[in-house]
Amino acid sequence: MKMPARQEIERLYDAHAAALFAFLLNLTRAEADTRDLLQEIFVKLARDATLLAGVREERAFLIRLAHNAAIDLMRRRGTRERTKENFAAEIISPFAPTRDPDEKIFRDELADALGELPAEQRAVVHLKLWAGLTFEEIAAVLDIPPNTAASRYRYGLDKLRGRLRPLYEEIK
Amino acid sequence: MKPDDFESRLQRQPLRPIPPEWRAEILAAARAAQVPYHSSPVTRHPQPSWPYSILYSLSSLLWPHPKAWAGLAAVWIFILAVNFSIRDSAPRRAEKSAPTTPEVLVELRQQQRLFAELVGPRESRDADRPRMFTPKPRGERAEMMVV
Repeated sequence: MKMPARQEIERLYDAHAAALFAFLLNLTRAEADTRDLLQEIFVKLARDATLLAGVREERAFLIRLAHNAAIDLMRRRGTRERTKENFAAEIISPFAPTRDPDEKIFRDELADALGELPAEQRAVVHLKLWAGLTFEEIAAVLDIPPNTAASRYRYGLDKLRGRLRPLYEEIK
Repeated sequence: MKPDDFESRLQRQPLRPIPPEWRAEILAAARAAQVPYHSSPVTRHPQPSWPYSILYSLSSLLWPHPKAWAGLAAVWIFILAVNFSIRDSAPRRAEKSAPTTPEVLVELRQQQRLFAELVGPRESRDADRPRMFTPKPRGERAEMMVV
Protein backbone atom coordinates (compact mmCIF):
# COMPACT_ATOMS: atom_id res chain seq x y z
CA MET A 1 0.00 0.00 0.00
CA LYS A 2 1.50 3.32 -1.05
CA MET A 3 1.39 6.00 1.63
CA PRO A 4 0.47 9.49 0.52
CA ALA A 5 3.45 11.75 0.82
CA ARG A 6 3.47 14.62 3.24
CA GLN A 7 3.11 17.07 0.38
CA GLU A 8 0.12 15.19 -0.94
CA ILE A 9 -1.74 15.46 2.37
CA GLU A 10 -0.88 19.16 2.52
CA ARG A 11 -2.17 19.64 -1.00
CA LEU A 12 -5.42 17.88 -0.13
CA TYR A 13 -5.80 20.06 2.95
CA ASP A 14 -5.17 23.30 1.09
CA ALA A 15 -7.52 22.33 -1.71
CA HIS A 16 -10.48 20.98 0.27
CA ALA A 17 -10.26 21.73 4.00
CA ALA A 18 -12.15 25.03 3.78
CA ALA A 19 -15.10 23.46 1.96
CA LEU A 20 -15.13 20.47 4.32
CA PHE A 21 -14.96 22.80 7.31
CA ALA A 22 -17.98 24.82 6.12
CA PHE A 23 -20.00 21.68 5.39
CA LEU A 24 -19.15 20.02 8.71
CA LEU A 25 -19.78 23.21 10.67
CA ASN A 26 -23.19 23.55 9.04
CA LEU A 27 -24.01 19.95 9.99
CA THR A 28 -22.62 19.84 13.53
CA ARG A 29 -22.91 23.52 14.54
CA ALA A 30 -20.02 22.96 16.91
CA GLU A 31 -16.45 24.04 16.24
CA ALA A 32 -14.88 21.34 18.39
CA ASP A 33 -16.83 18.57 16.64
CA THR A 34 -15.96 20.06 13.26
CA ARG A 35 -12.28 20.04 14.13
CA ASP A 36 -12.40 16.46 15.36
CA LEU A 37 -14.16 15.26 12.25
CA LEU A 38 -11.83 17.17 9.94
CA GLN A 39 -8.83 15.67 11.70
CA GLU A 40 -10.40 12.23 11.50
CA ILE A 41 -10.75 12.58 7.74
CA PHE A 42 -7.15 13.66 7.17
CA VAL A 43 -5.79 11.00 9.50
CA LYS A 44 -7.76 8.45 7.52
CA LEU A 45 -6.31 9.80 4.29
CA ALA A 46 -2.79 9.72 5.71
CA ARG A 47 -3.15 6.11 6.82
CA ASP A 48 -4.56 4.74 3.61
CA ALA A 49 -3.57 6.09 0.21
CA THR A 50 -5.91 3.67 -1.54
CA LEU A 51 -8.85 5.74 -0.33
CA LEU A 52 -8.25 8.17 -3.17
CA ALA A 53 -7.09 5.62 -5.71
CA GLY A 54 -9.26 5.84 -8.81
CA VAL A 55 -11.29 8.75 -7.45
CA ARG A 56 -12.06 11.29 -10.16
CA GLU A 57 -13.82 13.93 -8.08
CA GLU A 58 -11.73 14.44 -4.96
CA ARG A 59 -14.03 17.11 -3.55
CA ALA A 60 -17.16 14.98 -3.89
CA PHE A 61 -15.41 11.99 -2.38
CA LEU A 62 -14.11 13.98 0.59
CA ILE A 63 -17.54 15.55 1.18
CA ARG A 64 -18.97 12.04 1.24
CA LEU A 65 -16.36 11.03 3.84
CA ALA A 66 -17.22 14.12 5.86
CA HIS A 67 -20.96 13.48 5.66
CA ASN A 68 -20.57 9.88 6.80
CA ALA A 69 -18.31 10.93 9.67
CA ALA A 70 -20.80 13.59 10.80
CA ILE A 71 -23.75 11.19 10.62
CA ASP A 72 -21.74 8.62 12.63
CA LEU A 73 -21.01 11.25 15.26
CA MET A 74 -24.66 12.27 15.51
CA ARG A 75 -25.79 8.66 15.81
CA ARG A 76 -23.20 7.93 18.47
CA ARG A 77 -24.36 10.81 20.57
CA GLY A 78 -28.07 10.37 20.08
CA THR A 79 -30.75 12.96 19.68
CA ARG A 80 -31.21 13.71 23.37
CA GLU A 81 -27.57 14.48 24.05
CA ARG A 82 -27.28 16.53 20.88
CA THR A 83 -30.26 18.66 21.82
CA LYS A 84 -28.95 19.13 25.34
CA GLU A 85 -25.55 20.17 24.01
CA ASN A 86 -27.11 22.57 21.56
CA PHE A 87 -28.88 24.30 24.40
CA ALA A 88 -25.79 24.31 26.59
CA ALA A 89 -23.14 25.29 24.08
CA GLU A 90 -23.16 28.34 21.88
CA ILE A 91 -24.25 27.44 18.37
CA ILE A 92 -21.72 28.64 15.86
CA SER A 93 -22.91 30.25 12.66
CA PRO A 94 -21.46 28.77 9.48
CA PHE A 95 -21.27 32.27 7.99
CA ALA A 96 -18.46 34.78 8.21
CA PRO A 97 -18.93 37.58 10.72
CA THR A 98 -19.65 41.03 9.35
CA ARG A 99 -19.77 44.61 10.62
CA ASP A 100 -22.76 45.61 8.50
CA PRO A 101 -25.72 45.45 10.92
CA ASP A 102 -28.28 44.50 8.25
CA GLU A 103 -26.05 41.75 6.90
CA LYS A 104 -25.35 40.54 10.42
CA ILE A 105 -29.06 40.25 11.19
CA PHE A 106 -29.69 38.41 7.94
CA ARG A 107 -26.79 35.98 8.46
CA ASP A 108 -27.78 35.28 12.03
CA GLU A 109 -31.37 34.64 11.00
CA LEU A 110 -30.24 32.45 8.12
CA ALA A 111 -27.97 30.46 10.44
CA ASP A 112 -30.86 29.94 12.86
CA ALA A 113 -33.20 28.92 10.06
CA LEU A 114 -30.65 26.47 8.69
CA GLY A 115 -30.20 25.04 12.17
CA GLU A 116 -33.92 24.29 12.32
CA LEU A 117 -33.83 22.23 9.12
CA PRO A 118 -33.49 18.45 9.43
CA ALA A 119 -29.89 17.34 8.88
CA GLU A 120 -30.63 15.67 5.54
CA GLN A 121 -32.25 18.85 4.13
CA ARG A 122 -29.51 21.03 5.56
CA ALA A 123 -26.85 18.88 3.90
CA VAL A 124 -28.53 19.12 0.50
CA VAL A 125 -29.12 22.88 0.80
CA HIS A 126 -25.50 23.45 1.78
CA LEU A 127 -24.10 21.31 -1.02
CA LYS A 128 -26.33 22.98 -3.62
CA LEU A 129 -25.91 26.58 -2.51
CA TRP A 130 -22.40 26.75 -1.08
CA ALA A 131 -20.52 23.76 -2.50
CA GLY A 132 -21.94 24.30 -5.99
CA LEU A 133 -22.82 20.66 -6.63
CA THR A 134 -25.54 19.56 -9.03
CA PHE A 135 -28.40 17.34 -7.86
CA GLU A 136 -26.73 14.37 -9.54
CA GLU A 137 -23.50 15.05 -7.68
CA ILE A 138 -25.35 15.56 -4.42
CA ALA A 139 -27.19 12.31 -5.00
CA ALA A 140 -23.90 10.49 -5.56
CA VAL A 141 -22.29 12.06 -2.50
CA LEU A 142 -25.19 11.35 -0.13
CA ASP A 143 -26.09 8.03 -1.73
CA ILE A 144 -29.68 9.01 -2.48
CA PRO A 145 -31.68 9.26 -5.74
CA PRO A 146 -31.38 12.61 -7.57
CA ASN A 147 -35.14 13.20 -7.20
CA THR A 148 -34.82 12.85 -3.46
CA ALA A 149 -31.95 15.33 -3.45
CA ALA A 150 -34.05 17.81 -5.48
CA SER A 151 -37.12 17.44 -3.27
CA ARG A 152 -35.08 17.83 -0.09
CA TYR A 153 -33.60 20.99 -1.52
CA ARG A 154 -37.03 22.38 -2.39
CA TYR A 155 -38.46 21.57 1.04
CA GLY A 156 -35.45 23.12 2.76
CA LEU A 157 -35.44 26.21 0.60
CA ASP A 158 -39.19 26.74 1.13
CA LYS A 159 -38.67 26.65 4.88
CA LEU A 160 -35.81 29.14 4.65
CA ARG A 161 -37.86 31.39 2.42
CA GLY A 162 -40.84 31.33 4.74
CA ARG A 163 -38.69 32.14 7.72
CA LEU A 164 -36.57 34.85 6.06
CA ARG A 165 -39.14 36.46 3.78
CA PRO A 166 -40.02 39.44 6.04
CA LEU A 167 -36.39 40.19 6.76
CA TYR A 168 -35.39 39.75 3.14
CA GLU A 169 -38.11 42.12 1.95
CA GLU A 170 -37.10 44.68 4.54
CA ILE A 171 -33.39 44.83 3.77
CA LYS A 172 -33.60 44.12 0.01
CA MET B 1 -39.86 37.83 -4.09
CA LYS B 2 -38.44 35.84 -6.95
CA PRO B 3 -37.00 32.46 -6.01
CA ASP B 4 -33.85 33.10 -8.02
CA ASP B 5 -33.16 36.31 -6.18
CA PHE B 6 -33.52 34.62 -2.86
CA GLU B 7 -31.28 31.71 -3.84
CA SER B 8 -28.62 33.99 -5.26
CA ARG B 9 -28.80 36.11 -2.13
CA LEU B 10 -28.18 32.99 -0.02
CA GLN B 11 -25.35 31.89 -2.31
CA ARG B 12 -23.62 35.24 -1.85
CA GLN B 13 -23.36 34.79 1.91
CA PRO B 14 -19.68 34.21 2.65
CA LEU B 15 -18.93 31.13 4.73
CA ARG B 16 -16.91 31.24 7.92
CA PRO B 17 -13.21 30.68 7.13
CA ILE B 18 -11.39 27.75 8.64
CA PRO B 19 -9.18 28.78 11.60
CA PRO B 20 -5.64 29.03 10.20
CA GLU B 21 -4.04 27.40 13.24
CA TRP B 22 -5.90 24.18 12.52
CA ARG B 23 -3.73 23.48 9.47
CA ALA B 24 -0.58 22.76 11.47
CA GLU B 25 -2.45 20.78 14.11
CA ILE B 26 -4.41 18.58 11.72
CA LEU B 27 -1.46 17.96 9.42
CA ALA B 28 0.69 17.06 12.44
CA ALA B 29 -1.95 14.54 13.52
CA ALA B 30 -2.03 13.14 9.98
CA ARG B 31 1.76 12.81 9.93
CA ALA B 32 1.69 11.11 13.33
CA ALA B 33 -0.81 8.63 11.96
CA GLN B 34 1.60 7.81 9.15
CA VAL B 35 4.58 7.15 11.48
CA PRO B 36 3.82 3.58 12.62
CA TYR B 37 3.45 2.42 9.04
CA HIS B 38 6.75 3.95 7.94
CA SER B 39 8.72 2.69 10.94
CA SER B 40 7.50 -0.92 10.70
CA PRO B 41 6.64 -1.74 7.13
CA VAL B 42 6.64 -5.54 7.70
CA THR B 43 4.21 -5.69 10.59
CA ARG B 44 1.37 -3.44 9.58
CA HIS B 45 -0.75 -4.13 12.66
CA PRO B 46 1.63 -4.49 15.59
CA GLN B 47 0.21 -6.13 18.70
CA PRO B 48 -0.37 -3.56 21.45
CA SER B 49 1.44 -4.13 24.72
CA TRP B 50 -0.60 -5.56 27.61
CA PRO B 51 -0.57 -2.38 29.76
CA TYR B 52 -1.84 -0.49 26.75
CA SER B 53 -4.57 -3.03 26.07
CA ILE B 54 -5.62 -2.99 29.75
CA LEU B 55 -5.75 0.80 29.72
CA TYR B 56 -7.64 0.75 26.44
CA SER B 57 -10.24 -1.72 27.67
CA LEU B 58 -10.60 0.21 30.95
CA SER B 59 -11.08 3.49 29.16
CA SER B 60 -13.63 1.96 26.79
CA LEU B 61 -15.46 0.53 29.81
CA LEU B 62 -15.42 3.73 31.86
CA TRP B 63 -15.86 6.24 29.09
CA PRO B 64 -19.67 6.18 28.74
CA HIS B 65 -20.26 7.45 32.32
CA PRO B 66 -16.97 8.79 33.74
CA LYS B 67 -18.66 10.85 36.46
CA ALA B 68 -20.67 7.89 37.74
CA TRP B 69 -17.53 5.72 37.91
CA ALA B 70 -15.60 8.47 39.65
CA GLY B 71 -18.40 8.85 42.21
CA LEU B 72 -18.44 5.10 42.83
CA ALA B 73 -14.66 5.09 43.29
CA ALA B 74 -14.92 7.99 45.76
CA VAL B 75 -17.56 6.12 47.78
CA TRP B 76 -15.34 3.03 47.93
CA ILE B 77 -12.34 5.06 49.01
CA PHE B 78 -14.45 6.63 51.76
CA ILE B 79 -15.68 3.22 52.94
CA LEU B 80 -12.12 1.85 53.00
CA ALA B 81 -10.87 4.88 54.90
CA VAL B 82 -13.61 4.52 57.52
CA ASN B 83 -12.88 0.79 57.79
CA PHE B 84 -9.15 1.35 58.35
CA SER B 85 -9.72 4.09 60.91
CA ILE B 86 -12.08 1.83 62.92
CA ARG B 87 -9.64 -1.08 62.77
CA ASP B 88 -6.75 1.07 63.98
CA SER B 89 -8.63 2.59 66.91
CA ALA B 90 -10.10 -0.70 68.27
CA PRO B 91 -6.87 -2.21 69.79
CA ARG B 92 -6.00 1.12 71.31
CA ARG B 93 -9.31 1.19 73.13
CA ALA B 94 -8.68 -2.37 74.39
CA GLU B 95 -5.25 -1.42 75.60
CA LYS B 96 -6.65 1.54 77.48
CA SER B 97 -9.30 -0.53 79.28
CA ALA B 98 -6.93 -3.40 80.25
CA PRO B 99 -5.93 -3.54 83.98
CA THR B 100 -2.29 -2.79 84.31
CA THR B 101 -1.68 -2.12 88.00
CA PRO B 102 -1.18 -4.99 90.53
CA GLU B 103 -3.68 -3.35 92.91
CA VAL B 104 -6.41 -3.80 90.38
CA LEU B 105 -5.42 -7.44 89.88
CA VAL B 106 -5.55 -8.10 93.62
CA GLU B 107 -8.94 -6.44 93.88
CA LEU B 108 -10.22 -8.52 91.00
CA ARG B 109 -9.05 -11.78 92.63
CA GLN B 110 -10.69 -10.79 95.91
CA GLN B 111 -13.96 -10.18 94.12
CA GLN B 112 -13.74 -13.56 92.41
CA ARG B 113 -13.09 -15.29 95.75
CA LEU B 114 -16.03 -13.50 97.38
CA PHE B 115 -18.28 -14.50 94.53
CA ALA B 116 -17.21 -18.15 94.82
CA GLU B 117 -17.99 -18.12 98.57
CA LEU B 118 -21.40 -16.58 98.02
CA VAL B 119 -22.40 -19.06 95.35
CA GLY B 120 -20.98 -22.07 97.14
CA PRO B 121 -19.01 -24.98 95.66
CA ARG B 122 -21.74 -27.79 95.90
CA GLU B 123 -24.50 -25.82 94.24
CA SER B 124 -22.35 -24.82 91.48
CA ARG B 125 -21.15 -28.40 90.98
CA ASP B 126 -24.74 -29.71 90.95
CA ALA B 127 -25.81 -27.09 88.61
CA ASP B 128 -22.98 -27.88 86.30
CA ARG B 129 -23.34 -31.67 86.44
CA PRO B 130 -25.63 -33.09 83.71
CA ARG B 131 -28.55 -35.12 85.07
CA MET B 132 -28.35 -38.80 84.14
CA PHE B 133 -31.56 -40.46 82.95
CA THR B 134 -32.04 -43.95 84.36
CA PRO B 135 -35.03 -45.79 82.94
CA LYS B 136 -37.31 -47.51 85.53
CA PRO B 137 -40.04 -50.21 85.15
CA ARG B 138 -43.48 -48.88 84.22
CA GLY B 139 -45.08 -50.09 87.49
CA GLU B 140 -42.60 -48.27 89.63
CA ARG B 141 -43.23 -45.07 87.62
CA ALA B 142 -47.01 -45.39 88.28
CA GLU B 143 -46.44 -45.82 91.99
CA MET B 144 -44.41 -42.71 92.11
CA MET B 145 -47.18 -40.78 90.36
CA VAL B 146 -49.76 -42.03 92.89
CA VAL B 147 -47.56 -41.00 95.76
